Amino acid sequence: MTYELNVAHLYGDLMNTYGDVGNILALNYYAEQMDVKLNVSIVSLKDPFDASKFDLAFFGGGQDYEQVIVSKDIQNKKQSLTAFIEDDGPVLAICGGYQLLGHYYVGADGEKIPGIGALDHYTLAQDNNRFIGDIVIENQEFDEQYHGFENHQGRTFLGKDEKPLGVVLSGKGNNGEDKTEGAIYKNVYCSYFHGPILTRNGNIAKRLLVAALQRKYPEQDFSKLASMPIPATF
Amino acid sequence: MSLRSGLASFVGRSSYWFLHTFFKGGSSLPGKLAVKMDPEILKDLGSKYDVIIITGTNGKTLTTALTVRVLGQKYQSLLTNPTGSNMIQGIVTTFLEAPKTKDAKPVAVLEVDEANIVLVTKYIKPKAFVFTNIFRDQMDRYGEIYTTYQKILNGVALAPEATIIANGDAPIFHSKHLPNPIVYYGFNHEPDGELKAKPNTDGILCPVCQNILHYKFLTYSNLGKYYCPECGFSRPELTYSLNKLGERTPTSSKFEIDNHPYKIEIGGMYNIYNALAAYAVGRFMGVSSSQIAKAFESDKKVFGRQEEITVGDKKLTLILVKNPVGLNQVLDMISTEKDPFSFISLLNANYADGIDTSWIWDGNFELLPQLNIKAFMTGGERYKDVTFRLKVAGVPQDKLIVEPSLSKIIEKVPQLPTEKIYVLATYTAVLQLRKELANKGYIKEGMSI
Repeated sequence: MTYELNVAHLYGDLMNTYGDVGNILALNYYAEQMDVKLNVSIVSLKDPFDASKFDLAFFGGGQDYEQVIVSKDIQNKKQSLTAFIEDDGPVLAICGGYQLLGHYYVGADGEKIPGIGALDHYTLAQDNNRFIGDIVIENQEFDEQYHGFENHQGRTFLGKDEKPLGVVLSGKGNNGEDKTEGAIYKNVYCSYFHGPILTRNGNIAKRLLVAALQRKYPEQDFSKLASMPIPATF
Repeated sequence: MSLRSGLASFVGRSSYWFLHTFFKGGSSLPGKLAVKMDPEILKDLGSKYDVIIITGTNGKTLTTALTVRVLGQKYQSLLTNPTGSNMIQGIVTTFLEAPKTKDAKPVAVLEVDEANIVLVTKYIKPKAFVFTNIFRDQMDRYGEIYTTYQKILNGVALAPEATIIANGDAPIFHSKHLPNPIVYYGFNHEPDGELKAKPNTDGILCPVCQNILHYKFLTYSNLGKYYCPECGFSRPELTYSLNKLGERTPTSSKFEIDNHPYKIEIGGMYNIYNALAAYAVGRFMGVSSSQIAKAFESDKKVFGRQEEITVGDKKLTLILVKNPVGLNQVLDMISTEKDPFSFISLLNANYADGIDTSWIWDGNFELLPQLNIKAFMTGGERYKDVTFRLKVAGVPQDKLIVEPSLSKIIEKVPQLPTEKIYVLATYTAVLQLRKELANKGYIKEGMSI
């Protein structure tokens, strides 16, 4: 293959609920069509995250118990992850991963669990309720619609530098109030979507891969890949 | 028996007689009526029995059925609850329906839903609990594995004298200190190596120090001879161990437990665990090795989850799949097939199936292209999801037939290139497919799963 990308699967052995690993499989599927070889490695507890070694990162959701442990460990990776993000490194973060990139989330027992604050959002809990069901959102800037399945107790509120991934057409979204779903900051894409998100919304996979390629191979022109049509899968 | 319980029991029994006589079914209604009249009825009904409660997220039904067969070798009077009646009302109904016995201490083997154990142990102090495993289900319906285990323990706390017979290969069953006597069963069939669980595996954190567990060997998912390299937490001593794994096919498994050979007429590692659990209960209750071997070989109808249906000159094996660990076990089981076969996957997302289809991505469909599969078919209400899953898994397009309609799938079955066909389907897809098969006269109406 012509190109090669190194992907960090953040806490892939702990943060892997609801088929989130399907995002890695989908990235690989689309990467092959783009003539790109993906090398995926898990970066987990006690492993350092070396920002210079990776071209793309994926961070999935976990169970409460695992997430609390990840919240402690990820503080040691806070600097390098923040540097990667500020340096336009592409990241996809889902559910718990999304929450941990922000300032904090409130756990099941009301305790505040710290994130790394690389993105400016925070997440509150809701009592005896979860947002569960099919969801459709629209990103007007990209003129694309995304389909997913949301299943979250947290209610996330975006900071001023973040744009939503989309506006909710049906479903609950970030918090059930402001019609936003997910977040975009630089090349970081966050969402509560399962399904998994990239298997139903190949356009986001393409966007992440093209961003990673442009960053790694700045002298190349990837506009052809960027306009590659992605057939609907859902 | 108090007057109130007596009356509740009478109402329950008569409603069972009424329903059974006029509607050809008992259901859980008698239990519901009886529980409404006197919630303490279970205390009266259950006190006569030595009760064994079988619980866990996967394998309850088969473990219960096998345990009944095993204990049947020694005990004359055995009571068990029918599949699916594992909530409190179903259990009360089971006792209400029980034929009168002269045995001083008949045995009741009950499959109990994790959250319902506390409702049962409030009134019945069982002789033993059996913990099969706790795997993550599709979580739109159930909780996390730790929450599920806590629900079980809430029930166990009311019966601190009952012996726990637990799967020793599951780290979660060694994570809490309990006052109960505990015996463990597990696998001891491989020399020690140095492994970690596959990345997409649940429940791999050391319960003592929260580092990632390592394994001397793994059987499947997070089951195996685990240990923590950081703090020394490790698998407990096994009382009953499977010391040898013999030939495995999709329809049979040979193995040795405590150096005695056994055979069961079903494939799949998970079913060997179920048999091992039933063995452990049998030994605990004083059944001999040779009696257990006889019980295992006697009848294959007990393995109802896997149904063979003849369509023309084709043999369909219909298998229910409902969560990632189960799905992976089924995929592993069909990989032991020696003949070429065809593969059909049917996906629905109604409430009973789990309304989120994400879980199919946790299934190791990547195994399929390496198997001797001549044709693939996808269908069901969510055929698009499962079709894309197979594409991503590397299933060649020219071997893949996409057919949403189950009726048309049956019509296309005779054109498939192999005699053997494996059909993996979610719960409502199984029901719908059986209905179509019955309409076309291949099977009789009714549900066997």
